Amino acid sequence: MTETMFFILLSLQHEHHGYGIMLHVKELTKGRIILGAGTIYNSLSRLKKDGLIKTFSEDDRKKTYITTEIGEKILKVEAKRLAELCSSAKPLLEELK
Amino acid sequence: MKTKRIVFFPFFKRVIPADFENWLEKMAADGWHIERVRQGSSMIMIFTKGMPKKYRYVYDLRAIANKDYVSTYEQFGWQHLGKMASVNIWRMEYSDKRPEAFTDKESIKGRNKRTILAISFSFILSLLALIAISIVLIFFPSIISADEKTQLIIAAVVLAVFTLMLGAIMIIINKRNIQ
Repeated sequence: MTETMFFILLSLQHEHHGYGIMLHVKELTKGRIILGAGTIYNSLSRLKKDGLIKTFSEDDRKKTYITTEIGEKILKVEAKRLAELCSSAKPLLEELK
Repeated sequence: MKTKRIVFFPFFKRVIPADFENWLEKMAADGWHIERVRQGSSMIMIFTKGMPKKYRYVYDLRAIANKDYVSTYEQFGWQHLGKMASVNIWRMEYSDKRPEAFTDKESIKGRNKRTILAISFSFILSLLALIAISIVLIFFPSIISADEKTQLIIAAVVLAVFTLMLGAIMIIINKRNIQ
């Protein structure tokens, strides 16, 4: 899973529309990742096609999304993998000190 | 003072999406603006003189886009200038930080890949049509009248030029990708 996909899926544990996802990810990463409209549109289409997210609500201009059960599961598997990476990387940081 | 500027085949001269975007941005900085992009814009673009503006343009080729496509871009403040062939042109005014629509490696690659696929597809189609016409002209000249023959020869020449041009575009894009 790419970093973009991970952060979008993480945001969509609560419902958001495209622009809302960008704001949320910006806040989570303290401004490091600012997603563009094209990237968000691509990622949402992809995640929806793969069944990881679904439409939550829809009015004439804005559609909001939320993770599906499978999406939630995959997010947790990915989180576990990342945590494992983190714990492997930690000793390196100690050495650098 | 001139108030209109006409550019022929703007797209074929700048086949790399980023080149096309930068060119439009430079035109806007010099005060030359387009307000709409239409089917014919790939052949001819008419710019109107105005105040110099800092505009970021985005070139996004999409054969299929659902209705969320436009609304997602609009939420971010992009203005849809229109479509030529399957290429959407977006614009946003900015002051300090230049806005981007594609912000990770995957989506930039994806955008370029969609462009190359579309060009390759047109190349193959026009090449097939050219081959079909040549077969009729060379092997079955007796089944067509003299009039039809002239028409087919003209069609073949136009197609040959078009195919060569698309071929050249593919070579340019490939070279740029290697760099």
